Amino acid sequence: MVTAQHLHKSFGRFVAVRDADFSIDKGEIVGFLGPNGAGKTTTMKMLTGYLPPSSGTASIAGYDILDHPLEARRHLGYMPENVPLYEDMRVYDYLEYRAKLKGICGSSVRQQVGWAIDRCGLEPKRKNMISTLSKGYRQRTGLADALLGNPDLLILDEPTNGLDPNQIRQIRELIRSLAEEHTVILSTHILSEVEMICNKVIIIDQGNIKAADTPARLTAGLRAAGRVSLEFKGELDPVVQELEAFEPIMKVMVEDDRGDGWHRLVLRAEPGTDTREKAAAVVAAHSGVLRHLYRHIPSLEDVFVEMTRRD
Amino acid sequence: MAETTPSTDIKRSRSSLRSFLTIFFKELRSYLCTPFGWVILGCTMALQGFWLQAVLQTMTKATGESVMYYMLGNVNFWFYFIFIFPLITMRTFADEERQGTLEGLLTAPVTTGQIVLGKYFAAYVFYLLLWLPMYLYPWMSEIGNWYTSVRYGITPEGCITYTLADWVGPYCILALAGAFFIALGVLCSALTRSQIIAGIITTCFMIMFYFLGRVTELWGEFPAAPAFHYLSCTEQVDAFSRGLLDTRPVVLYLTLTVFTLALTKRIVDYRRWHR
Repeated sequence: MVTAQHLHKSFGRFVAVRDADFSIDKGEIVGFLGPNGAGKTTTMKMLTGYLPPSSGTASIAGYDILDHPLEARRHLGYMPENVPLYEDMRVYDYLEYRAKLKGICGSSVRQQVGWAIDRCGLEPKRKNMISTLSKGYRQRTGLADALLGNPDLLILDEPTNGLDPNQIRQIRELIRSLAEEHTVILSTHILSEVEMICNKVIIIDQGNIKAADTPARLTAGLRAAGRVSLEFKGELDPVVQELEAFEPIMKVMVEDDRGDGWHRLVLRAEPGTDTREKAAAVVAAHSGVLRHLYRHIPSLEDVFVEMTRRD
Repeated sequence: MAETTPSTDIKRSRSSLRSFLTIFFKELRSYLCTPFGWVILGCTMALQGFWLQAVLQTMTKATGESVMYYMLGNVNFWFYFIFIFPLITMRTFADEERQGTLEGLLTAPVTTGQIVLGKYFAAYVFYLLLWLPMYLYPWMSEIGNWYTSVRYGITPEGCITYTLADWVGPYCILALAGAFFIALGVLCSALTRSQIIAGIITTCFMIMFYFLGRVTELWGEFPAAPAFHYLSCTEQVDAFSRGLLDTRPVVLYLTLTVFTLALTKRIVDYRRWHR
């Protein structure tokens, strides 16, 4: 659906996106992750054809964004960051104008606008002036705009930015329901959101693409993946010695001395191993009492921090 | 929740005329459906009204030329004429860029040329609408005559005389010069994201163009003087409002308009490439 080849953008000396290569298949929901100023928005703007790349190119639905910009844009619905809209138009008129601008004509205009309004829950506001809309409804109007003409690819720049938790949930549901027939690229800061709806993650930092994979495969290779923590009462030293001798465990860290006789250990093991069973057995073998045993489930947050950490 | 229509069932058009007309009508609507356009129309009408009153005073003493000659062939006319253009055009691109809506426009499947032409013609048609009320003056004068004859039983003389040529000439030059000045305003609006700056630059260009035409009045005749006569909008307005239609200004303003619009398209693209 989308392939980017050596996509590069610099503003003067500042390199916003460096040599980005990625491809996105039909039907995928892709999350663009990265700290502020990492190049997410720039990459998206290049895909939409708004910002021409300094070098490299990309294609959408087989059409090169530089050689066939109009064809590429016909397959694309774009919702820019902060959703710029004409303040002096009414919601329905705005969407009608946008539909016509996208080349929809005849009876399809009404049908498409009606469908987008319905889909985004804009029915109560269809006659309102855009300047009077709340943030949530503005966001939905932008989304409805992107949906007009049923494009194959949706590019959404921070679609849930500035919404309250209920609205975020609604928009998330909407995006998930769209995924059945569209390919979606979205950028966000909210990692849990990506974890919930995206089946592919592209992490970008300082203009470089650090990773592009499914969330499951990204988290699997993490240092944090095999970490186990436990608390027990009993003799400390023999337990530690025996655990350190166990093969997959690389390091045992003692976080101790709350003075109540309970010892707290953190075991760092190789990614993808589960050392809980062994830990419980060792504690029991030294007639200790176990009250807490937990294997850390690596999240995208860990991936994000590990890949974009500066220190 | 409504069912999606398969993409193939949606009626689509690839006509570039249709994209142009969509932008054109949206822009024209934004002039006519907001207070903005009506304020400009109202101000222009009020100024014209004041000036018409002064012209009628003059005409009681001197006759021989049409009322349009007195109305347009005077520096007072230029005093408000110059300011019409920045007012009409300063929003076109500057406001889109400030609001960020230019991004939506440029990522839609339309070309920059269609956008520039759509915006230009909407502004130009609105500008032409500004001059329509002027055509009512002879009719109003007829009504005045009729009222006088009914009320006082005398047939008045010396009403605003009008022949078709009296109106064709002034309307032609207003339409011609306006075509270029509107294009100039659109160009200035594409240069910046601030409406105010766009307006100031347009006004500045307008005043410069106005004074270029008066150079010969200040310096007399000199070898390069014909060029300044050729460029002089004031002289052209004088000639046209006397009923003298000339083809040279037609060539001048049409070439300048096409050149300015082509430059505007370049600038919109350039600002995108070098953001």
